[in-house]
Amino acid sequence: MKRRRRRADSDLVEHADASLLDVVDHLLNKGVVVTGDVMLGLAGVDLVYLRLSALLCAADLIAPPRRPRR
Amino acid sequence: MSRLYVYAVVGGTVRRRLGRGLSGELIRLVRCGTVRAAVGDMDAAPAVTPTNLRAHDAIIRRLAKKANALLPARFGSLVDDDGALQDALAPRATELGQALALVEGCEQMTLRVYGGARLPEKAAADDVPPGLGPGARYLAARLRARRVPEIEPLRRALGGLVRAERAERHGTRPLIASVYHLVPRGRTRAYRAAISRTRADLGNVRVRASGPWAPYAFAPERLA
Repeated sequence: MKRRRRRADSDLVEHADASLLDVVDHLLNKGVVVTGDVMLGLAGVDLVYLRLSALLCAADLIAPPRRPRR
Repeated sequence: MSRLYVYAVVGGTVRRRLGRGLSGELIRLVRCGTVRAAVGDMDAAPAVTPTNLRAHDAIIRRLAKKANALLPARFGSLVDDDGALQDALAPRATELGQALALVEGCEQMTLRVYGGARLPEKAAADDVPPGLGPGARYLAARLRARRVPEIEPLRRALGGLVRAERAERHGTRPLIASVYHLVPRGRTRAYRAAISRTRADLGNVRVRASGPWAPYAFAPERLA
């Protein structure tokens, strides 16, 4: 049961908001820069970065690293 | 006044009927020297929202299926007109052509690397070639750390599945690095299988694989 729950937790990281991290990274931080200034609408930027920050914390809370054996 | 929104730079054979873009506009090709760009007429750049980002990625995925080689443009890339686009891209056609040749027939898999102990400088320095002065050894160790040595077991397992790699370290734990792999189309299942087999060999480091994506990380970012 514990192993199944741990696998479900890692799936949660992989398939839910984790995909938004990938989309934000790929589209806003990668790709051919055609002009020196990329004109972006500001609507939703706060939302995107807020969720991104939450994701960075969530990954460790959902599947904390294994503690070394004594 | 309508402007030009740039979706991607494409190379090789491109199957026609590129479909519609973010605003419902027809996507067309504009020749820029020896490369072509997939563009749509748009009045203003789309707002940065999760919905628009996902829709843009869906369009890129569709275009990638129609072209032998594709380099996504950054989200929000807007130019005045065809002439402005040609002025921006034609001088860089050689660089773009090389990048298109690299990504031809490939997709991108993205690895997010979490957790793990901070790579101690001493551990990184141990792999530095001998004979260097202290300053050079320090820099070499830092460079080695940027290559994300934590996933070396994965690299060995992936072997010939990866045509090229780009890697970035992050200062925002628990996310310690992002690694982008260029994988031939049709081989991503084998790629995922190799990741699954090797996860247990990474100690307290965890990886999350996503993809396939269009080759976002293999596009030349700056057109200086």
